[in-house]
Amino acid sequence: MTSVLGHITTAEFPPEYKKWDYPPPDRLFDAPVNVVVAADKKKVAENIEKQARYVNALCIWTDCDREGEHIGYEICEAARKGNQTLDIKRAKFSNIERAHIINASKNLINLDHKQVNAVASRIELDLRIGYAFTRFLTTSLRTLGGPFQSLLLSYGSCQFPTLGFVVDRYFRVRNFKPEPFWGINVSHKREGIDVNFNWARHRLFDRASVIILYERCLLAKKAKVTKVQEKPTKKWKPLPLTTVELQKMATSFLRMTGQQAMETAEGLYNKGFISYPRTETDRFDPGMNLRALVQKQTQSQAWGDFAQNLVDGGFQQPRQGRNDDKAHPPIHPITFATPSALNDQEKKIYEFVTRRFLACCSEDAKGVATDVDILYGEESFHAHGVVVLEQNYLEVYVYEKWTGSVQLPKFTVGEVFEPTEALMTEGKTAPPNYLTEADLIALMDANGIGTDATMAEHIQKIQERDYVRTVPRTNRASEGANDSEGGQPARGGRGGRPTRGGRGGRGGRGGGTTANGRGGLMEFIPTQLGVALIEGFDRMNFETSLSKPYLRKEMELKMKAICEGRTTKEVVLDESIQQYRHVFMQSQQKLSVLKTHASRAIGNQHSNPTDHPQRRATNPPYSECAQEEGTPIIEESGLVGNTGKEKEETIGLFRKESMPVAFVLANIPIHVSLTLSASTYDSSSHAPRPHRAPNVLSENAPYSTTWGNSYGSWGAVVMLYHSG
Amino acid sequence: MPNRNPLPPLPALVATVKTRFLAADLTHPALFDSPAPAFPPNASNPEVKEVKLTWDIPVQVLDIENLSRSKWEQVEELEAVARGEQTKGRKVIRLPIGEEEDEFAVDGQTAQQTANGTDRSGLQGRGPAPLATTVNTASKTSTHRLVLQDCKGQKLYGLELKRIDKIGIGTLNIGEKIILKRGAILARGTLLLDPATCIILGGKVEAWQKEWVEGRLARLREAVGADNRNTR
Repeated sequence: MTSVLGHITTAEFPPEYKKWDYPPPDRLFDAPVNVVVAADKKKVAENIEKQARYVNALCIWTDCDREGEHIGYEICEAARKGNQTLDIKRAKFSNIERAHIINASKNLINLDHKQVNAVASRIELDLRIGYAFTRFLTTSLRTLGGPFQSLLLSYGSCQFPTLGFVVDRYFRVRNFKPEPFWGINVSHKREGIDVNFNWARHRLFDRASVIILYERCLLAKKAKVTKVQEKPTKKWKPLPLTTVELQKMATSFLRMTGQQAMETAEGLYNKGFISYPRTETDRFDPGMNLRALVQKQTQSQAWGDFAQNLVDGGFQQPRQGRNDDKAHPPIHPITFATPSALNDQEKKIYEFVTRRFLACCSEDAKGVATDVDILYGEESFHAHGVVVLEQNYLEVYVYEKWTGSVQLPKFTVGEVFEPTEALMTEGKTAPPNYLTEADLIALMDANGIGTDATMAEHIQKIQERDYVRTVPRTNRASEGANDSEGGQPARGGRGGRPTRGGRGGRGGRGGGTTANGRGGLMEFIPTQLGVALIEGFDRMNFETSLSKPYLRKEMELKMKAICEGRTTKEVVLDESIQQYRHVFMQSQQKLSVLKTHASRAIGNQHSNPTDHPQRRATNPPYSECAQEEGTPIIEESGLVGNTGKEKEETIGLFRKESMPVAFVLANIPIHVSLTLSASTYDSSSHAPRPHRAPNVLSENAPYSTTWGNSYGSWGAVVMLYHSG
Repeated sequence: MPNRNPLPPLPALVATVKTRFLAADLTHPALFDSPAPAFPPNASNPEVKEVKLTWDIPVQVLDIENLSRSKWEQVEELEAVARGEQTKGRKVIRLPIGEEEDEFAVDGQTAQQTANGTDRSGLQGRGPAPLATTVNTASKTSTHRLVLQDCKGQKLYGLELKRIDKIGIGTLNIGEKIILKRGAILARGTLLLDPATCIILGGKVEAWQKEWVEGRLARLREAVGADNRNTR
């Protein structure tokens, strides 16, 4: 018995292709690719080879997913070097319960070469495409000088669509146009309770029309009850935990990035506290003994009582989701971990995994919902009340809440009454929010970008490359206070929509429903570099922009087709290479477009002045080194708030201790440096004393420390000076 | 009547006349004997709280707006369609290209996709984006407002007081003919539409429809005060 650590081999180009400038990057589309043992896996391979010499059979127990199958194949190859006549088998298993494992070992199968080929295709394509475009981007843009001289511009077939989502949302927010709308709200006081009736039309974007309808309500004077219904309602308990869901929840509720959550979960897995954290499965195998797992949690201080109740008869089989990767069960605790055995991050993840598991094994929350419909003139109105009767799973699953509204007083069908009040209301649409990591993961998941295991890495990567940055979500309180649902159908984050009973917890993959109002939620904003790359590509390759998810999605579908025997590795490689080569050629031809966008990002003389003069206003708030004299690019910064027209705005009053934090989080120091001037805060007059000292903040000021130091220990007001 | 022998059968003639009538501009002076059934005098007066029509009036549709959706939401949707994409929940979907439509019809038709993956991915360049009219998101609770014109050329707003299924962007054409029945309500200069008094006859004026569809995005952008250049 021995083990491996992920892939043993790696694909690479021969040495003569190692130089960046020659041969030209497009040659990488048909250059030979060598599969060799990875430098850091030599020992692993040698070990297998050596062990193989003394045995006559080999059984592979790698994960039962595509990657696992390929690793199995790599093991075969390594082992055959030591022993040509080896009898090789594979065990198929999806969890490590005793009975299941014994069964798997009794029913050994052969390696599935279709799956191996699918992964081999993916590896080769990623290599060719990644290298070709990365070299092309980096070397082509190097000639622009400035920061590009030393910048590595990596391209990845998952990275770019991921960046594309961030850029897309960024522009949706920035280009958003608020619009006023009007509505009618009827309320009626009965039995001391104020009942609110909502208009069936919800709202209309035309004032005159609403006035006409409102007037007709008032003329009618009396409202008539058309429907009264009282029925039990539920808030569904969550689905068993998948990797994607873990990452979404961790980023929304545990103040971790997806990457941190995964690393922590892996640590817990390696210590044997939780099951394998990379899984797409959201249903437990009916054969698993879940009660025994619940039993182990009874010793906990925090949720032991809840677990005990389940053991004592409250246990209910978890809901069955629709996804089963046939390799791993949903993430669940394996054994009880005493809090002292865990570090802070581990505690959070372990607690979450456990609470989620216990919630799954508990019962839906129950309540009773009352609906009353009235007809007031010709207009329909609706009142809804929920009374929560049993919290059930919510007692242990602290990440969700369900609070009832007031109980509605009695209404009878056919009864006629004069409403206490009918008001015409007015509101304004609000822009969508920037993407949170949970939103981004959900988008990647829905569009087949990356696997649940690699999404966090792609997100991490586009941050490392400085294509995007994260900033804390600010409350854009000024706008949209009246509106909870601007025009953004694809949004999951901000609640606001009245959650009606029973709809809450449905659809485990649907997105964090209650991410509302959590402090420290981070949002993704593209840098000007990120925007330049995406816009450049969008304009160059109008048909098959690399910023869109389609090409990658096609690749995933093709891999699936290989696995199902509908096509072959050769055909797929041929097709995909042709596709990407075509995009590559297009990109080369239209390089000037990309360069224009890129140079705009660094604001130098290469930019084409005739192109979109108004763009400046929609550019991201910062750049690597924006340097146009007197052009305050922070003018409309989303970080600072949409000041727009104002000449100046105070963006923060802080003490030395808090200042670095404020700005590190906002991630804006570099940009601030060129567009802000600082003024010291005069405590006697409480008025900022303008103090034009742009040099206080050097162009390359490190994010935090220099900032604090340069201000010394007094409080400071930073002013935005708009030169326009 | 052309001098043909035998004459076309009567049902065919009636059908032809009907089709021609529905496709005509209602304000054409030759269409009606006078006095033509038109809006009552002073119909657009916003001071009048309520008055009922005392005769049936044929009208044609000049414009339609969905008041339940913000204009910007509609702009975003039209722009996405123009880019060749559409979102379904979180999923970004690439819109079908011309005659290859069926390939995209069902999610996960991987067999075909793999077979001709190369040409399908649009390497040869794509045809024009599908017409914006394909997007119709009117739901049961939508409220539309029409601009209605009578045969004298007088225009009034028509507001959906009760939902009429046929009324929707993409389902109701510009130039489509409607009969407003006697008893229909005119409130503050706006006609209140209700299935009982608003009979949709069908038809359209091809040229108007085309112009309306093509200019829709620009009109919406202008109405919300957005620059009419595509900023993204």
